[in-house]
Amino acid sequence: MPRRRRRRLVQVGIDTGGTFTDFVVRDDGRIRVHKVLSTPDDPARAVLAGLAELLPGAWSGEVTYGSTVATNALLERRGARVCLVTTAGFEDVLEIGRQARPRVYALEPRLPAPLVRRADRLGVRERTSHDARIVTRLGSVELRRLVRRVRARRPAAVAVVLLHSYARPEHEQRIGAALAALGVPVTLSHALVREHREYERTSTCVVNAYVAPAMRRHLERLARGLGRRPLRVMQSSGGAVAPALAAREPVRTILSGPAGGVVGAAALAERLGLDAALTIDMGGTSTDVALVAGGIPRRTECVIDGMPLRVPVIDIHTVGAGGGSIARRDAGGSLQVGPESAGADPGPACYGRGTLATVTDANLVLGRLVADRFLGGAMPLDLRRAQAAISRLARQLRLSAPCAAEGVVQVVNAAMIRALRVISLERGHDPRLFTLMAFGGAAALHACELAVELGIGRVLVPAHPGVLSAAGMAAAPRSRAFSTTVRLVDPSLAALARLAAPWQRRGAAELRREGVPRAAIANRTTALMRYVGQAHEVEVPLGADLRGRFDAAHAQAYGHGDSRRSVEVLALCVEVTGAVRRREGAARRRSDRRAPVGARHRLVWRGRVLEAARHEREVLGPTARIGGPALVTEYSSTTFVPPGWRGRVDGEGHLHLERR
Amino acid sequence: MRRPRLDPIGLAVLNHRLAAIAEEMGVRLGHTGFSPNIKERHDYSCALFDAGGRLAAQAAHIPVHLGSTPLSVRAALAAHRLAPGDVVAVNDPFAGGTHLPDLTLVAPVHGRSGRLLGYVANRAHHADVGGMTPGSMPLAREIHQEGFRLPPVRLVRRGAMDDDVLALFLANTRVPDERRGDLDAQRAALAVGAERLVDLAEDLGAPALARGMDELQRYSERLMAATLRTLPGGVYRAVDLLDGDGIGEGPIPIRVAITLGGGRARVDFAGSAPQVEGSLNANYAITLSAAVYVFLTLAREAIPANDGITRRLDVRAPEGSVVNAMFPAAVAGGNVETSQRIVDVMLRALASAAPDRVPAASCGSMNNLAIGGFDHGRGRAFSYYETVAGGAGAGPAGAGASGIHTHMTNTLNTPIEALEAYYPFRVTAYRLRRGSGGAGRHRGGDGLVREIMLLESAEATLLTERRRLSPWGLAGGGDGARGRNLLVRRGRRRALPGKANLRLEAGDGIRLETPGGGGFGGRGRRGGRPRK
Repeated sequence: MPRRRRRRLVQVGIDTGGTFTDFVVRDDGRIRVHKVLSTPDDPARAVLAGLAELLPGAWSGEVTYGSTVATNALLERRGARVCLVTTAGFEDVLEIGRQARPRVYALEPRLPAPLVRRADRLGVRERTSHDARIVTRLGSVELRRLVRRVRARRPAAVAVVLLHSYARPEHEQRIGAALAALGVPVTLSHALVREHREYERTSTCVVNAYVAPAMRRHLERLARGLGRRPLRVMQSSGGAVAPALAAREPVRTILSGPAGGVVGAAALAERLGLDAALTIDMGGTSTDVALVAGGIPRRTECVIDGMPLRVPVIDIHTVGAGGGSIARRDAGGSLQVGPESAGADPGPACYGRGTLATVTDANLVLGRLVADRFLGGAMPLDLRRAQAAISRLARQLRLSAPCAAEGVVQVVNAAMIRALRVISLERGHDPRLFTLMAFGGAAALHACELAVELGIGRVLVPAHPGVLSAAGMAAAPRSRAFSTTVRLVDPSLAALARLAAPWQRRGAAELRREGVPRAAIANRTTALMRYVGQAHEVEVPLGADLRGRFDAAHAQAYGHGDSRRSVEVLALCVEVTGAVRRREGAARRRSDRRAPVGARHRLVWRGRVLEAARHEREVLGPTARIGGPALVTEYSSTTFVPPGWRGRVDGEGHLHLERR
Repeated sequence: MRRPRLDPIGLAVLNHRLAAIAEEMGVRLGHTGFSPNIKERHDYSCALFDAGGRLAAQAAHIPVHLGSTPLSVRAALAAHRLAPGDVVAVNDPFAGGTHLPDLTLVAPVHGRSGRLLGYVANRAHHADVGGMTPGSMPLAREIHQEGFRLPPVRLVRRGAMDDDVLALFLANTRVPDERRGDLDAQRAALAVGAERLVDLAEDLGAPALARGMDELQRYSERLMAATLRTLPGGVYRAVDLLDGDGIGEGPIPIRVAITLGGGRARVDFAGSAPQVEGSLNANYAITLSAAVYVFLTLAREAIPANDGITRRLDVRAPEGSVVNAMFPAAVAGGNVETSQRIVDVMLRALASAAPDRVPAASCGSMNNLAIGGFDHGRGRAFSYYETVAGGAGAGPAGAGASGIHTHMTNTLNTPIEALEAYYPFRVTAYRLRRGSGGAGRHRGGDGLVREIMLLESAEATLLTERRRLSPWGLAGGGDGARGRNLLVRRGRRRALPGKANLRLEAGDGIRLETPGGGGFGGRGRRGGRPRK
């Protein structure tokens, strides 16, 4: 196809991973995929290099980017020196946390060291009450003294978290104004998290301040490289924002990588008319699962490395089980798989360096991976090493090698099933009504067997399962999300609407400044509600019969509702979105060949050796029919179709599997 | 997974399934609970039992519930023939309970064919169950003063709440509405546990499930035996002291002799003090829980919590002693304070058996504070109960953690912003008690300072330990600083005893300074001297 020289309008999604940076380009309805090696010292380099390779000519359009800069700065403790300003007497809230230890039976409990050392945590004499009264006024002398103390420490960022500032932010605002002269990012807690619970708010603001300088520098470099083309940054909630906001509130991007995958899955599910899907993204060390049903469920909090972050995130459940998880026999004679992982180095035994048996080794020994088709043949796997590792394990377990290998798969499946149950059954959903969507390197190997255990009849493996996250970024809407503690008992709908209105206006105004037309702006406001006295809230969209819908939602989630009890609206969540101009392309033209039946492959399933068909995903067309047992191989993934399953590929290249 | 018997794979898979059910019960209870004690502090545990009433799985919530919940189930089964849909409630420390605020619900689970599959149970700490003072942790001299005692009674019969029993219970608590909400949450948690267990039986077949639970218990027993074999055989003895019960003369000695050998342990508390007049008496359930906890911490792998872990342990405590109190002893503090000392004395004894694992003494108290009264501003009675963390003992691996709950508890704190929104309090300080950790090559963790000012007059109860005798250091490390309790009245501080009942006026403050952990190893820096 000749390249036209006119300026093209494209949408680009970019997902930075530890090894590769993935690109997905939607260009006149066509989708193209690209990968370059990541450049962890300066992630912008890989992004700009990849774009230059992918779009050499002139182009315009939008780039949506999932950044790991904030995540890595946090996890590797390479963030900025931060000063934390608190109400005097509460300088240690950050360090004390919630007093609990993470592992109950650890004789020497360890907590992560606080991101701000004691000498940089500054108390200020002031006090506001929970009902918005000033108990101790912040004096101007005290304020000037504070500014001097902060300045003397030369921090690269400041976080200000005063007690009850969500109820009355006056003192935080005055401190913010006084610190502006320092010229460093200042995070005011009421502006980032307008909710009660001081430790969670402090933790969130400190992380924000800690990663803010690195994020700002990075986004500036990226913006320079992109010129006038607009850049949007993915957030953990699944929405995208302009770089200025991402630089101010980088804590909202920390889980944006996994969020991209779920947004991509949700967009695909909607397009294919699936109303309920469970997603499973299995990588080397961990597996992320999520649920998509008429929208993407979100949580109001997540925990990273022991630190709670009170920002909206997609409800993703992660388990420490992946392809690299190590299998071993424990002292009681049971088989354990994970959470220890062989990682990328030494990696599974079959990568040629390690000797410990992993899930990947088990799959290879069982014939569910093809040694010379891994990464398109670029990285042949060492079957003999895998066999040796599995045989060693089998001897310890007093099982045959195939039995041990199948056992490894079963046990890792049990961990994933547990995660899938958490996000479905624990949230009041019946998994049997869902389609299981499998992506990431390893999920498609396990998906059908997981489905059987959960009573699920349909599995979908999207085209390019390795870059679904980048595709999700290209599809993400622009969004603004706010939450505000209101604490009202049995309020009228009108009162709630009045409280939500300023946030809705603010979000809409910000999106319009980014060029989103008025007609494309929509907002969704939900109330976090609970029976008076309860701790955990149920999220209910604001609208008619709020009370009745709350009782019903509570009953669905928790098995009982009580229409007589008073109800408290704790907080309102306002999300304003601007839809992406999306042009869904016609189906990709692909060669329409029937599955080549020549390639046969032997694999082990439930103790039997089966002759399976082997298909190359790239050449499967819409008329091809696949019957289990079969393997479908492609560049970054392999799908195992067990007996009793059959499949077909649709016009866009998605693989649909069904239980007969 | 339809196998005739469980191989190493089936074990791992079933362990996942059962543990997930217990965890989900806990999530449900935390989300639907009403009192801050349950919803913010997560002071509860959930467990599954097999058809013989043996523990099959318990979520790792609160260690002090570990060995004791099975005894509640045993008491419920001894008292009643349970029909489908029945729920038994019990809090009587002399019939399967621990202390009165811990209310346990037990329900049988029947499969779709009507076959008994097992039992589900949960135990939650209710912030008030009557008695002499709000919070039901008074300085009592007998059980009758501590609150409303509920022997195993059927609270629900064939799915229908017995309103008479409920009314009787609610009439005997200070905040009945909150109690009813928490009981509903406990029932909801039982319901989800039962539903999941029925599903599991459908998946595996009821006989396979029964065999599986049995094998899982034997698996835990093997792991416990393997743990015990990592310790050299012999008899290990130690003594440790409680400050006093707040009524009689202290201190109160607890003695232990631990005999190890052949993958078994005998833990004998002969020579411990007789039961005391005050509330520091532990019943056998608590002593057993503490012993189980200690051996679980010494394990090098996670051992699934089930009946198997107790089979290798022979825990003996003389009847009528402070570690096996008899009716009508007061027991409120046995659960929260004496349990910690039982752990301390056992670890002290085992320090020479496992010098690579055992740390110095931790804070050694749950630093219980209960405050109750009438809140005129909000127009309602209130009952607040909280425990305050302290310093962890330093160990061979490193310094002790600061401001953390250790050993037999692991509840969360109540956020200040939630506390002040619910109660007529203002928290005036919440910080680490710098320098309170013991000196040593590895420093002990620091305790906490928590000071609460009352905005209404109220009645407070303090039940705290390690106010006279410090948490000990180990291997040459220094002791952690003792705790202090202070009354702040009109700007003046006045020392309070470790156990106290007092009337507070609006404007008074109560200040807890909790003990630091002991240090580990000699030649270290200064410690154990908190800065003023």
